[in-house]
Amino acid sequence: MKQIVIPGEIVSEERKRLGSNVYVLNGKIHSKVLGIIDNESDTADVVALKGTYIPKRDDTVIGIVNRVVFAGYGVEINSFNESFIPRKAMRQEAKLGDIIVAKIDDVNELKEANLSYPKKLYDGEIIQIIPVRSPRLIGKNASMLDVLTNGTNCEIFIGKNGRVWAKDGNIDLLKKAINFIDENSYKSNLTNAVEELLKGEKK
Amino acid sequence: MTMQDIDYKKTKTRLDGRKMNELRPLSIEVGVIPNAQGSAYLEWGQNKVYAAVYGPREALPKHTANSLKAVVKVEYRMVSFSVPDRKRPGPNRRDQEISKVLGEALDHAIFTEQFPNTEIGVYVEVIDSNAGSRVACLAAASCALADAGIPMKDLVSATGVGKAYGEIILDLNKDEEDAPDAVDIPIAIMPNSKEIVLLQMDGPLTRKEWDSVAKLGMEGCMQVYEVQKAALAKKYEIGEALVNGKKIAKAENKTESKVENKTTDKKEDKKSSAKTTKKKVKK
Amino acid sequence: MRAGILANEISKAVSLAREGKRSDGRALDEYRKITVSKDMCENAESSTMITLGKTKVLAGLKLTVGTPYPDSPAEGAISIGAEALPLAHAEYESGRPSNDEVELARVVDRGLRESKAIDFAQLCIKEGEAVWVGYLDFYAINGDGNLFDAGSISSLITFRNGKMPKLDKNNKIIYGEFDGKLKMTKMPLLTTFVKVGGKIMLDPTFVEEKAAEARYSVATTEDGNLTAMQKGVGGSFTLEEVNYMIDKAFVESEKIRKQIKNE
Repeated sequence: MKQIVIPGEIVSEERKRLGSNVYVLNGKIHSKVLGIIDNESDTADVVALKGTYIPKRDDTVIGIVNRVVFAGYGVEINSFNESFIPRKAMRQEAKLGDIIVAKIDDVNELKEANLSYPKKLYDGEIIQIIPVRSPRLIGKNASMLDVLTNGTNCEIFIGKNGRVWAKDGNIDLLKKAINFIDENSYKSNLTNAVEELLKGEKK
Repeated sequence: MTMQDIDYKKTKTRLDGRKMNELRPLSIEVGVIPNAQGSAYLEWGQNKVYAAVYGPREALPKHTANSLKAVVKVEYRMVSFSVPDRKRPGPNRRDQEISKVLGEALDHAIFTEQFPNTEIGVYVEVIDSNAGSRVACLAAASCALADAGIPMKDLVSATGVGKAYGEIILDLNKDEEDAPDAVDIPIAIMPNSKEIVLLQMDGPLTRKEWDSVAKLGMEGCMQVYEVQKAALAKKYEIGEALVNGKKIAKAENKTESKVENKTTDKKEDKKSSAKTTKKKVKK
Repeated sequence: MRAGILANEISKAVSLAREGKRSDGRALDEYRKITVSKDMCENAESSTMITLGKTKVLAGLKLTVGTPYPDSPAEGAISIGAEALPLAHAEYESGRPSNDEVELARVVDRGLRESKAIDFAQLCIKEGEAVWVGYLDFYAINGDGNLFDAGSISSLITFRNGKMPKLDKNNKIIYGEFDGKLKMTKMPLLTTFVKVGGKIMLDPTFVEEKAAEARYSVATTEDGNLTAMQKGVGGSFTLEEVNYMIDKAFVESEKIRKQIKNE
């Protein structure tokens, strides 16, 4: 059963596997953030309702060029630190505001992320979501992503850092679908529901 | 009746009709400032405050950054018309001191080691006041931080407590602060561990009186905690979602304090500010 | 808003503007929705909260007893201050008033003062000795552009509802007692435009202000007078553009006057 918890609130009095956003005090598991738990799960995990992205190795992220210097680019990836891409690592030239998709190579103790395989994305629009929602937008085996792509005819890139890049197609419809997913993220059969929603709007 | 004649031990109720252990009406709404990461608006008696959180973000100026943890920077300010005699713009020494102690209180509750080299900016602005603005700001700031998704060990719940007119009382209002024997003690705790993160006092108390004050103060903080909890849960109620197994009441926009006290105007001292037709603020 | 994201939003605003469109779907000459709440601050002689789209501004008035200037012994005074609180936007800083904040306060002040809507003689308590000084301060609580017009509307409503405190025989204020209201004979209002992508648009959002090549504010009264003007930011306007904006300002400010006439 889903339950809202606030920072400090006890998530479980028993021992459980520890997920994200929890800490242990005196043998009890507490939430660190305002979020949702599933108290029937065997993992004590709090899905934060908000929050900046915390970089993880191998995540694909969508960044925005925030700073251009001689040596390279400061890229903002919706985290508290910028990532730096040396000029020679980018095949294309980039300017302030350009959208880059890249993979996180590795993360240091200061949570600064190194990016690899940076690629510039042309045109298109960025839709901001909360980072924790990204997996839901992709779905199992990219099932949700397929539904979204087919239902809106957009070219879509989903970054794990809470950013969706979309181009062409019906972007307004995509935004609607994303809102729908956000509001109903905890429900089952969501993929089908989204498919129905998009079909309905297309008419 | 002059101030000297008031004796709470005799009257058994306070100037505004409250019991000794009763808070003034308290309501909180979160997510009221779209530009901020997290925000809250709080009304406590006549006090009205806004709190907004920006961060974690790059710490500027750079020399203020700490490579081991986030720096929590609180700015407590009051608008010029929040007090009976106009306050000149710009922070004064009181603002500075309050900003410091609020920052220290919140710092203890935040997992600052998770965000080295960053700053968490917490801005609290008092738009109307009547004693207890700093604890109002602390309670609001705590909700704003939670609203911002900043990881914390616990909320910070705060209240004023002390003594006036011969009795130990909770949440002094301005008339009580002006009592000849008034002692005002802002206190804040982390509700789960009961750790005290803010404690100030001005005025004389006996050692025995302190014990009663401390006990009452902690109880008062727990009352505030209930209102903070409900305000946060309400903001994010999702359809059928429950809080501790109970459906959250939908009705109002704001979360009213559980303490059901309607301050009665009748007993209020003439000196307190006029009760004009007070319209509810649209956020 | 981080620099990179802002740059993105700005280029979007500019390309939309070139087609005569705006990010929020408004027409170029359309105001955002305005809401008004009053009297929330009990310590103030008057207070008003305005929302203009997502911009939220709180204005409040404190009346104090002061001594008149020697050259105007029978006149009181008003003083208008403005603050873009750090609460309101990641970019707003605390500290001494920035150039923008000072300009904001002074432009709103001029629009009001030059309309002569407040008769300073009405603020005289005792000639040569005591006069009312009205301090109006307005604060941005959430900043999404056009603090000028939001400041102007909230100041106007706040002044109109100003309660005059009662004085004792030594001309000291008796707290909590009032006698009469501040009188305003007109409703001066600022109307602000920006030029984005070569097109003139009314009531800019934060992004539109950042995208602007130039900005223009004009204060008008309902009797057809202009009481203040300010061109801001860089860039330039042609005379035709200025005339267009002045004519528009009369029309749009009148709509607002209708909406707030009972406030």
